[in-house]
Order: sequence, then C-alpha cells, then structure tokens
Amino acid sequence: MTVRHVALVGGVTTPFGVRPTTWAEMAQEAGAALFRSMPDLRADDVDSLFVGAAEPERFAFQSHVAPLAAEQMGLKPRRILQRTELACASGQSAIRSAYAAIAAGLSDVAVAVGVEKMNLPSMAEANASMGCVMDRPWDGPHGATAPPFFAMVAQRHMLEHGTTPEQLAAVSEKNHRFANANPHAQFYAKTFSKDKLMRLPIVAPPLRLGDCSSMTDGAAAVVLVAEELARKYTDAPAWIRGTGQYSDFHNLAHAGSLTEWPGLTIASREALGRAGCSLKDLDFAEIHDCFTISEIVEYEALGLCPPGEGGRFALDGRGDIGGDIVINPRGGLLGCGHPLGATGIAQAVEVFEQFGRKAPPARQVPDPEWALVHNLSGSANVHSVMIYQTGGAS
Amino acid sequence: MSATARPRRSPVPSEPATPAPSREERPAPAAATSEAAPSQRPAAPPRPPRPFLLDFFPLEGSDQTRLSRFFERLREGRLSTTRCPRDGELHWPPRVACPTCHTEELSWVDLPEHGRIYAFSAVLGGAPLGLEADVPFAVGLVDLDGVPLRLFGRIDGKPWTELRIGGAVRVEPYDVGDGRMFYRFRTVE
Repeated sequence: MTVRHVALVGGVTTPFGVRPTTWAEMAQEAGAALFRSMPDLRADDVDSLFVGAAEPERFAFQSHVAPLAAEQMGLKPRRILQRTELACASGQSAIRSAYAAIAAGLSDVAVAVGVEKMNLPSMAEANASMGCVMDRPWDGPHGATAPPFFAMVAQRHMLEHGTTPEQLAAVSEKNHRFANANPHAQFYAKTFSKDKLMRLPIVAPPLRLGDCSSMTDGAAAVVLVAEELARKYTDAPAWIRGTGQYSDFHNLAHAGSLTEWPGLTIASREALGRAGCSLKDLDFAEIHDCFTISEIVEYEALGLCPPGEGGRFALDGRGDIGGDIVINPRGGLLGCGHPLGATGIAQAVEVFEQFGRKAPPARQVPDPEWALVHNLSGSANVHSVMIYQTGGAS
Repeated sequence: MSATARPRRSPVPSEPATPAPSREERPAPAAATSEAAPSQRPAAPPRPPRPFLLDFFPLEGSDQTRLSRFFERLREGRLSTTRCPRDGELHWPPRVACPTCHTEELSWVDLPEHGRIYAFSAVLGGAPLGLEADVPFAVGLVDLDGVPLRLFGRIDGKPWTELRIGGAVRVEPYDVGDGRMFYRFRTVE
C-alpha cells in the first residue's frame, strides 16, 4: 500500500479556562472558529471527523459525542466518524487516527477536534471522574488521582537525583511566562515568579498548586489533508513526518521506579525514526507538563539531558527561548490549562502557528523547522509522540 | 450495596469454560502470612449509599465478579492474589486469566502482611466524591516483604508529615462501611 504524506493545514483553539459554556457549545465554537480561519475550507470538503474527548459521559453526561460534535460543527462526515478516548492524550489520538486514515487513502480531508468540559457545579464529582482514569476498583478506592501519583514521582526524583522545589518552580515559571502571551490560555496575562510559585499552597506534597495543571474547559480543532490538497488551503503546511506510541502498564503496582519513563524513550525514538530526523534537529517541543515534575522527567526520557539532570536543565533555562530547544512555547498545560480532549489538538495548533510565524514575539521560536509533540496519559503509562516539519514540498 | 446483602450464587461459577481461580495454595513461598482477628479491625463508619457509577469501591459479590474469593479472604483478614501455577507468575491485581500463558486455572495465594514505603504523598484537597471527609490522608506505594509486588494504597496511622520512605507498614483489611471489604496500609511503630 502506498502511504500518502499528510499535512496539517489549519487549526484553532477556543479560549481555555473556567468557561460558562457547555460541551456542545464549545464544539460549536471550535467549528465556527475553524471555518472563519479557513475561508477556502467548505464543510463539504471534510469527509471525516475524529473527536478527542476523554470523559464526556462523566463531565457532560453525554455519550455518542462524535455525531453530536459533527452536528455542532456543521459537518456531515461521509467516510470516517469516530471518537478517540485516551484520557489526557485523547486529542493527539484523534490526530493520529486522522493521519492514519489519510495516509492509508481512506480519507482526504479530515478534521480532528478535541473538546472537554471539566468545571462542574460539584468539583468533588469532577475529581471522582478524574480518579476513574486510574485502575478504578483497585487503585481508585485508595484515593488515586493524578496529583498524589505525580507527587510520588517528584518525591522519588528529589530523593534519587536531588531535584529541588526551585527546579520544579523553574518549569512552571517558564510555561506561565509563555502563557502570559497566549490569549487563549487559562492563565493569560497572569504573572508567576518562582518565589510566588514556591509559596502557593501544597496540593499533594511535595507538589504545590503551581506545579499542577488545572481543570479546564476548552476545545481545539485542526484540519489534516492529503499531500496533493495541502496548497489549496495554506502556503505554510505542517507536515506530519512521524509518530510513535508505547504503553506498558495500567495498575499503579506496575509503575516501576516512577522516575524513569522508558515508554517515552521508545515512543519518541519510533517517531523520530519514522521522521528521519534526530533530537538535535528539533527546534521546539510541546510536551505534556501536566505537572512540573512531568516536564523534568520528559527532558530525561526524550534524551535532552542525562537521567537525573532534568531539574538542572530546567533551572539553567535550557528549555527556554535561547536555550537548547524551546519547550512548551504555547504555555504548556501548566499555563494554558488542560482540557483533556483538547490539549493534544491545541499543541498541534501551536505547531501550525509557530511554523507560520504567527505566535506573539514573546514566544515565537526563531525559524522553526522541526517540532515534537508529546502527550502522556493516565499515570504516565501511555506515551504518544508526533513529529512535524515545516516546509514547501511534501 | 453490600456483598452480604446481595443475592448470592455459588461462590465459584459453574461454567466449565470460564472457571474462576479456585485452587487453594497457601502460604505463598517467601511470604509470611498471618491473620488479623476481626476484632482488631477498625470499626466501620456508616457509609451513605452512592450511585454505583460514582462509587470507587468494587462490587465484590460472586454475582458481579469472578474474583469474589479475594473479598471473602479479605474478610478473613487475608490479603491475597492469584498466581499462575504453570509459570509461577504472581499477579496484581488478582486475575481470571494469566497474561503470559493464558490459562484460567489460577491459584489463590496469601500475600505478606508487612511491607515498606517506596514512595508516598498525601491528598490535601481535591479529593474524589466520597473521600472528601477523609482529607487529609496519605497514600503510597509499598514494597511487600519477600515478594516482587509494590502495591499502591492508602496509608493510615501516622500523619503524612511523619511518614518516611522505607517506613514499615502492615496490611489492614477494613469494612468499607456498607458490608463490603477493602484494604489499606497502617504504619507500624
């Protein structure tokens, strides 16, 4: 079978935050914004729709969301319509599925949309929904949610490698600084110094409020097309060059050392190998900073620094503009918020905007050619990676 | 939703094609086993009924799970799991089929009662529905003595500020508050 090249030719993000809107209304917002941003895209062009949504049954009491989203967006998919659920990576999962469908010739123009409504009248109910991402009957009754799990990762990383609260705060300060220049971010136009971050309340020791991404409402959408259609929609396509994924456990009993994430190493090598590029070629990366410690372990698992040196990598600004590689110029999950199904799509929108030199100066990566996008899901038990390249020819 | 109050069928499903793990095998090699007397268990505070889909605790009756033996043994003070008699693999959580050789003829084995904390944190806010009243509470990963299992669990006893990595804990079965059983860890002086 001939594999076709696939281009990302447009994308939008709704405002992220505590929104006075429903799940369906945000799907409408994303669809309307997408078509407004792409005058050459007609609804009839779109043959397939992939909907990233982690827990609409829980957060919006709504199942069968793929046709709901299609109707909200004004689409009538005639080839593939499906929802993708992979918890925190549901959005990237939608893009990977659309990519696979187009590469295989089953679709020519596909939309991947991600929507999540997480702020409910009862946050205890919302927290319970987050808890059922874990192995619910075995880990859930103990109170397993994301913050205590990633707190244990931070505790072990501090014990084994001497990582400090200031190093954690350096990650949060950087990503909030970028979000400060991102109008769609939950923490847009808000400043957080390291000192301020290190004085915020403890959520799950040793993690403080500023070490954790938020419960966020939001949506995002991108358009993927077969190579021969790319120029119809944009002069600056983002080409999907490779993808990789790895999962090796679910119950927390099998989380291993906590401080090593071999699944990310494997998934990123797969993706880079398929793209035919190396880590050194990357100009920026959108990686899954659901917690500050996540970004630090990801530096190490990606190979940006040796194991144990992720904290120093952060504090030395090697993931900042002017450093080795720009990490999370969008503002990350820490600064933008983390609407589960929308996050992976919003990261891809950032790649498109960075390649098109459309990011505000405060967070525009200089002359980017290669970008990596990573999402973990659950207790870092799944890692999903995509590689994008800018450029003219397919 | 109580296991004891539910209509019960035979504790072992009779379908020959899908036998439940049934062979008794105890004690587990290298596993010190002991049984907590029911009187030593903490009294269970009453638990208000909760819609099933907002309840973290598993349904434990044999009409709902092929692993009801786990909860029956928990009621006897024994934390147990399944082991594959063919390749010796110790599972967690207990299973109905071996993930390696795929047999459904699994054995039940008791797990050690004692272990040491590998990592811990605490829930100081943002607790799931039903656990808000317990805040603050500690959780951790515990290496059980003598077996290659590191279990996640609630850690009661000392407050989280006094826990330490390597600290000793023991398994404590408890009544969920509505007749069902679960387990947690308790610090050992």
